Amino acid sequence: MTETNKKEVIICRCEDVSEAEIKQAIAEGFTTINAIKKRLRAGMGLCQGRTCQKLVARIIAQETGKSMEEILLPTTRPPVRPIVMGAFEGEDK
Amino acid sequence: MRKTAEIVVIGGGVIGTSIAYYLAKEGRDVVILEKGDLASGSSGACDKAILMQSKKPGIHLELALKSAEIYKTLTDELEYPIEYANDGGMIVIETEEELAVMKQFVKKQREIGLGVELLDGKQARSIQPALADHIIGATHSDQDAQVNPIHATLGFATSAKRLGVEIYQQTEVTGIKVVSGAITAVETTRGQISTRNVVNCTGAYAPFLGRMVGLNIPIRPRRGQIVISEPMPKLIKGDMLSAKYIAAKHNPDIVEKAKDKATQMGIGLSLGQADSGNLLIGASREFVGYDKSTTYEALSAIIQNAIRIIPALKNINMIRNFAGLRPSTMDGLPILGGTELDGYYIAAGHEGDGIALAPITGQFMAEIICQGKSSIDLSLFHISRFDGQK
Repeated sequence: MTETNKKEVIICRCEDVSEAEIKQAIAEGFTTINAIKKRLRAGMGLCQGRTCQKLVARIIAQETGKSMEEILLPTTRPPVRPIVMGAFEGEDK
Repeated sequence: MRKTAEIVVIGGGVIGTSIAYYLAKEGRDVVILEKGDLASGSSGACDKAILMQSKKPGIHLELALKSAEIYKTLTDELEYPIEYANDGGMIVIETEEELAVMKQFVKKQREIGLGVELLDGKQARSIQPALADHIIGATHSDQDAQVNPIHATLGFATSAKRLGVEIYQQTEVTGIKVVSGAITAVETTRGQISTRNVVNCTGAYAPFLGRMVGLNIPIRPRRGQIVISEPMPKLIKGDMLSAKYIAAKHNPDIVEKAKDKATQMGIGLSLGQADSGNLLIGASREFVGYDKSTTYEALSAIIQNAIRIIPALKNINMIRNFAGLRPSTMDGLPILGGTELDGYYIAAGHEGDGIALAPITGQFMAEIICQGKSSIDLSLFHISRFDGQK
């Protein structure tokens, strides 16, 4: 792959964030999954990082030398997938 | 890490980064210590409103109005896209009882100089077509505004850095050294920094940093849960709150005496739409210690409450939810200023008003630290107001 092509590798498809942008953010000091999410929205889209989180983690590992275990988030939060809000109607108040 | 600093700001949220920025503008030598990432606490787990209408009429509202003025030019000043907009705000009224409360509230707000008007249901729906038919009225102010709180924090941090502030993330403060009545150093998980001045900007965690020097800082974490929707075309203009929320905020008795679960959890609508199109739907107000998890019970109540006011939400997806810890004080006002320990300053306890008040807090704290006093009297916000109270 040529250098030019590499710049256009999309890591977060929901929010259209590229590998080059993530590397730039890491260089600026955003070195955790959450920090990169806050800076670039990677992982904030419809799939909530289910596609890109591991890829982002791998780039952080490459750039900072940290291990994947150190980088990956230990917790996940519901909902597992988007849920229509009308489904909550009629629940106990 | 640096060995010495003139001033150490503890906490990399919107308050800490704002103070560091204004101190750096005065030419001060500042370091920020943050135990997680920038905006990883409450500044990254809140809504986006710069609301004037929710502030207590009085000096609280006066501060907010000054802060709102600064926000208008902050994007240019920080050279950072903080997603500021001045789209106004609305407090929706569902019952005659709420209407009576809001009429009084509006009268007091106008006396302080807030431009706010009372609308009937039809007028309210002409501004927010998504409102349910049973809404009998609303208050509306053009002075309410919006910002992305994460980007406001990153904006202050980026500009502070440009002015020479050094920011250490993943660096937790473990102790503050005091020798014969004066601060000498801050100890962290990454070593020690010699300093004479510390600014505690750690929000709900401020009491822990107070205890390190024997100071009792009466701030309690109050959990606020928020639901995030999928991105949508424009549905909500500006900020929206329910009068119920205002009532709960300013009359804690209502919450304490309530029998139903939703009121006990402090459920009241706070609604906004981010530039990205996602709706932020809040919120609960719960005292559950430092537990940041979300609960099915509260989320369900938040969603049902929101659907009652905006029926179109029924068909929209929730993609995420989160909770933030609002640093809450007994009187609902922040703690700003110095303390009995020379060089130890506090700027915390803003509860749900931290984003709105961040610029003015930064400016005034910089004045207090550099000149010994601020250009307007902030003694009402001094920690000594709690002396003798439990």
